[in-house]
Amino acid sequence: MTGRERETRLLLTGWSLHLPGVEGFDGAPPEKAAAVLGRKGLLYKEPSTRLALCAVHRALGFEPGQRATGPIEAGTAVVACSNLGNVETVAKVTRAVEAEGGRAVSVLDAPNVSPNVVASTVALWFGFGGPNLMLCSGSTAGLAGLRMASLLLRSGRATRVVLVGAEPEDEIASILHDGPLRAGSACVILEPWREDSGHAVVDFEQGEAARTVGPGGFDVKEQWGDFYGAHGVVELALAAHLAVVEGEGRVGIGPRRPDGGPAVSVAVTDHSDEMGSP
Amino acid sequence: MAVLIAGSAVRTCLGSGAETFDGLLRGACGVSPLRYGDPGQLNVAYGYHAGLDDELFRAGRLLAECLKEAVAQSGVDTETRRVAVLIGTGLRELSAVERLALTGETVSAGRLDFADVVAETLPGVTDVTTVVNACSAGGHVLALAQDLLELGECDAVVVAAADAMTRSMLAMIGRVAEEPTERVRPFDRERTGVLLGEGAAALVVVPETWDGPALGRVAATGLSCDAYHATAPDIEGIARAMSDAYTRAGRVPSEVDVVVAHATGTALNDPVECDALRKVVLGGGGNPLVTAVKGSTGHTSGSAALVNVDVALRIFASGEVPAVAGLTDPLDEGTGLRLVIGDAVAARPDLVQVNAFGFGGVNAVTLLERA
Repeated sequence: MTGRERETRLLLTGWSLHLPGVEGFDGAPPEKAAAVLGRKGLLYKEPSTRLALCAVHRALGFEPGQRATGPIEAGTAVVACSNLGNVETVAKVTRAVEAEGGRAVSVLDAPNVSPNVVASTVALWFGFGGPNLMLCSGSTAGLAGLRMASLLLRSGRATRVVLVGAEPEDEIASILHDGPLRAGSACVILEPWREDSGHAVVDFEQGEAARTVGPGGFDVKEQWGDFYGAHGVVELALAAHLAVVEGEGRVGIGPRRPDGGPAVSVAVTDHSDEMGSP
Repeated sequence: MAVLIAGSAVRTCLGSGAETFDGLLRGACGVSPLRYGDPGQLNVAYGYHAGLDDELFRAGRLLAECLKEAVAQSGVDTETRRVAVLIGTGLRELSAVERLALTGETVSAGRLDFADVVAETLPGVTDVTTVVNACSAGGHVLALAQDLLELGECDAVVVAAADAMTRSMLAMIGRVAEEPTERVRPFDRERTGVLLGEGAAALVVVPETWDGPALGRVAATGLSCDAYHATAPDIEGIARAMSDAYTRAGRVPSEVDVVVAHATGTALNDPVECDALRKVVLGGGGNPLVTAVKGSTGHTSGSAALVNVDVALRIFASGEVPAVAGLTDPLDEGTGLRLVIGDAVAARPDLVQVNAFGFGGVNAVTLLERA
């Protein structure tokens, strides 16, 4: 392994697109998340949290209703991307206090008034004890999440990163977003680059891509709707699907960003021993 | 590789970083009657307010002041150098969402984070990431900043954090309190819970090759997630963050001279934090002085870690460790810890540990060295 590869490549060992109502990638809507996750523990879980849990569940290849067992994985980090994940709860709690006083508020909503509930709930549900980050950086949150995931892996803070994006579609979120918003989630599982395993590689150096996801190619926003903070993770997971399952080999994501940041591609690894979607 | 701190600025209810530290040395308490929301409805009657009257976008205004001051102090040119900005926060500008809920008056989703504030305050900076990591957000962005510098991705990183109060979080604090808390009393047997404090802080973090003046050195920050409970802290998760910090720094707990604790004055945090300190630090042969600031400043949420870092830097510079305001009778779990009670203690520490823990079990423990 050269230093250059260490800096520019990450292994992508799993992915999922959990997009309610999107043909080919349809997933349970938040109110039916029990079909994926099992019934226990979903009380007071918000739509965005449920969507994130479903995406991670699928990316890990779990069966419906299967739960994580075993000790906490201290080497697995979570990076979650969502801008509007808890705004409806914040509004609901505020209105309840105004109308009926603080006693009308449930303590079960206490975690939900803190925006990092999406990231921390994923860690709690699956037993991920590594660094846990919640990114709320607007429509570029997914790309920021990929950069932070790369940082956590290269700095040795984690041996695996679960990068998940999830955005709800509710009254308050839609007003704040000021435009059509689509509920959905996606997840990619990232590990440090190594030669001998995995489905695909995330490459921060733009190579010759067979297809492009994003402007100039398959425009997720135009075709499926605006997943806002989850957008970048949806693009990554879609690129993984196209590269591996649809045999495109290398799929680029978007043009080079205006700030000069890295363009990204997802490509099949030379050594993939398994070519199916996890 | 350690990194240096070339600038640091703070805003709390007590004022600037210097004013805050002076208040800590005097045992000042910045609590005042709650200014936002109805105390009767919220079951919260007090807060630690930073002096801004307008209810909206207070966090961003405090943040802008800190960004300007810290960058000016460092002398880093944000227009010509590769500078990343990492903003940590617990609650963003969610008070704007609360206004929308009550009045229908809306804002753009883009105003909920701080990218615009950074763009207006630091010309030329385009690389801004908002990390919303509850009450340890500041510690998390400091860890990421060190990673960015160690991997050579930036010339400098501006690490900042800011938080103001939200009515929804106030409601949760009031919901779990038996009766309204009058002041924060960290580690005290008679503590009655937490109160929110408004605050912001900013650091300019640079590589060790920096040739300008430095306020201190970040040896390492350890990170972990409890993966244990949605709101209650866990000794194992906290201990992992502490151990991670020592391992990354190449130091051992017997070397730590002072701990600036998280110490929220709650039933849940304080015993667990004491247990973790006894397990990792005392168990590792350490016997540090333990202080805490929230009795003076309230819980400044996402900015709490960086406020504590600034306090640690001033301990290095002044040779004085402030006492814990509001602490007179330590809880049982504090037995064996050298909690600073009553008056400030003279000391010349070489290694200071700063603790930060947040909702969701997100832990960040920083080790700082004298520059």
